[in-house]
Amino acid sequence: MTTSAAIQASLRGDNALPLRPVDQVMDLERLGAIHQSRLSFMRTLVRRIMRERWQIEPVRFELDPQGYGTVVYEITTPNKCYSFVLFSDYLSPDERNDRVIATKWDLTMALVDGQVDDIYLEKLRQNVPKQEAGRVNARVFVLSRANRSARNFDYVVDQLACGKQPDVAQIARVGYLYRTTAVYGSGKLGMADWEKVSSRHPDFNRPFAAEMFVCLMLRNFSLLQAEHIAQHRTPETYHPMLPEIKRFFGIGNSTGLGMAPYLINHPLLINQWVEMRELALARVRVLGNINKRITQQFPELLERCAIHTEQTVTEDAWQTANNLQVLKDLEAIRERTANGIGSWDTLLRWSEENCSLQGQEMLVSVMLELYPELVDELEDYHTVEEFLDLDPVMPLQQLKQVIEQRYQWALVMDFSADGAKDTFWYRSEEKMEPRLGDAREENGKEKQMALGVGYAVRKCYDQLCQYISEHPQHSTARFMVAQPKLRGIVRRIQSMNRCIYGDIQANLLDRDILPMHLLRAKLAFFGVGKFDPRSKLWVRNTMFQGAPLLEDIGHTFNDDWFMPLAPAQQGEL
Amino acid sequence: MHVSMIELKAALRRCFEATGYYVGNYEDAANMILWLEKHGLKGLDELQRALPYIGDDSSKPLSTVIYEDSTSAIIDSNGRSALNCIAASVDLAHAKALENGIATVTVHNCHNRMFILKALTDCGRRGISVAAYWKNGNQTVTEHTAAIKAGERYPSYSEAITSLPANAEDKQTMTIVCSSRVDLTSSLQQSKGNRNARYISAEQIRLNKEHSVDFGIDIDETLWAEINRIGEGVLVENSERSRQGAGGR
Repeated sequence: MTTSAAIQASLRGDNALPLRPVDQVMDLERLGAIHQSRLSFMRTLVRRIMRERWQIEPVRFELDPQGYGTVVYEITTPNKCYSFVLFSDYLSPDERNDRVIATKWDLTMALVDGQVDDIYLEKLRQNVPKQEAGRVNARVFVLSRANRSARNFDYVVDQLACGKQPDVAQIARVGYLYRTTAVYGSGKLGMADWEKVSSRHPDFNRPFAAEMFVCLMLRNFSLLQAEHIAQHRTPETYHPMLPEIKRFFGIGNSTGLGMAPYLINHPLLINQWVEMRELALARVRVLGNINKRITQQFPELLERCAIHTEQTVTEDAWQTANNLQVLKDLEAIRERTANGIGSWDTLLRWSEENCSLQGQEMLVSVMLELYPELVDELEDYHTVEEFLDLDPVMPLQQLKQVIEQRYQWALVMDFSADGAKDTFWYRSEEKMEPRLGDAREENGKEKQMALGVGYAVRKCYDQLCQYISEHPQHSTARFMVAQPKLRGIVRRIQSMNRCIYGDIQANLLDRDILPMHLLRAKLAFFGVGKFDPRSKLWVRNTMFQGAPLLEDIGHTFNDDWFMPLAPAQQGEL
Repeated sequence: MHVSMIELKAALRRCFEATGYYVGNYEDAANMILWLEKHGLKGLDELQRALPYIGDDSSKPLSTVIYEDSTSAIIDSNGRSALNCIAASVDLAHAKALENGIATVTVHNCHNRMFILKALTDCGRRGISVAAYWKNGNQTVTEHTAAIKAGERYPSYSEAITSLPANAEDKQTMTIVCSSRVDLTSSLQQSKGNRNARYISAEQIRLNKEHSVDFGIDIDETLWAEINRIGEGVLVENSERSRQGAGGR
């Protein structure tokens, strides 16, 4: 078991491990190229559930033959009891909309502290299906909703009703029955604040653990519901789905711009996630012993990644090209290591010269996958207290040096160049939906969200230089009294300077900014797969594909659902 | 009505952003109000009193340092609310205390000084002890003090109604003492004229917080609506063109 002190000693000082450099890691395009890993939040959640053998049972199952009604699961962990409450309602196809602005859904759900009695259930029934238009109290941790995949749901029900199994090739194209369109936690709509969840409920005290759990429960319910409907339709021919096919169903997810501001507004947290991933990599690079097991497992994982990538279906030309390049990269890595891996350090350096960013990051995920003993314990260090504190005593000359060293990437940007400030991020009056605007053609720039960190640093630096010429001996505190408008950016600069990795390095105001990279980075930390960009602003993806089923809890578990593959269909080898 | 702490904070941030508070400052303002309310010190009542005036500060001059030496400073806040200027004053005291062991900063012409408690708590958390003292009131004068020890997470707070005569200068003045060497504590003396004296210990403030963490915050619906109404100022009008910027179908 590691400790905070051991982690700090590995990150800083004479005995630090060789971490990848900041400018390399925090480049937005690279962050947008990372993949799921064994440190991803879905993996860490499933490990906890399986190792602690959570008991999850439906205690109320009131679905009509069409699958509409109410279901309540009770979840008993070693610490507490929770309820997962789900309302399934009819939704006409023309009302089905994945956008934030939708007002009706096929399923709505809540994760609740403790057992739910009839009175509280009724209270939930009055509010949960309304989502943003409803209110709940601090017993609720997560609210979510989901829509059926029009393509898959009816097909799967028809197959099962006829006594057939779903065609695996079809599931490989769309690997889910439902798509979540929003998963709300952390105090929204009256729910429990993160401070409560993290301090009172150790089962969900890691970032987004409760939210991920709801998605996992939704995934399991979606399979149960499909079987329930099929069984009622033709009980005489119905046949349940094979477990290996069930496991290949994940849950779909549509992620839009809302996730992007989160990464900029929580820089300390994102830095922490990056630090743990990079520390895991550095541990493998230095301590990862290449023995017989590793020599056998490495090419198997490369092969698995290649097949997983081949099975990823997207109509997006950019993502398709990326996937094809990853396949070439994986083949190149395979060839390079056919006669032995050599050292991880050498291989990683080679990949930086010879593979695409997505290929390099795929190799990183594979390396982490091989060494659970070096990686998994870092999962307990993904939280951080998010204090952006001003260092009032810092001399201004030092502040200037900090900017020059840590924000060189911002200082070299030309913000007067054509297009450098054309994009603005704002909240629409329509449900406060986050949106992107083009300042050349749209109004509202004056109301933009403060996401242009690079530009803010540039302006701060210019004013600081001017101030220093007049008051060279002043402290930061004195500067702040004179220039209070810079308070936000100065304390951000100083706080991020205390981190290893710091801010994401990109100009989010640039005309050509690709928000997709931000979305993908966060989703990779969550652990999703099968990225399918629908534009530069939103992406479909699949969660929990390959994860154990509820009925697998309590049975053997080898934590091996990284880059899941389609199971062989009956009759296939 | 019931809201979570993060909902209140987000709504307050939008409210102050829409009012013209700048980046860094609208977060401070939201955090100062939330901190008081979360810790049972009636931050929303204080906000209610401040709300009619929060837009006025944009036309006032920024705070100015009118005297300064190595261990002290006098700052004129030019009639601004503590919500947008007191944190910088505490930072200056903090910096001087780190350099010299102990420092005093006096702030003049500053409203809503109760909001200092969040800034003061931040100092304590970061290893600096702080005490603050101020008086308030036109007819009846109240006096207030708060202090936190180095390394602590919660301050103590005292208030009392005095029999002191009102003094225009006192009314908007605050004294901040900060030390990196001495643990400062404060409580009001049981002087003859003090009535309704109230001392809230750091432990009681911690317990108040635990209750808010468990159950969230209760807020008057009218005030909640007003905060949100002001906050709508940061929202951009919806249009077909704007919908394309959301990226959906």
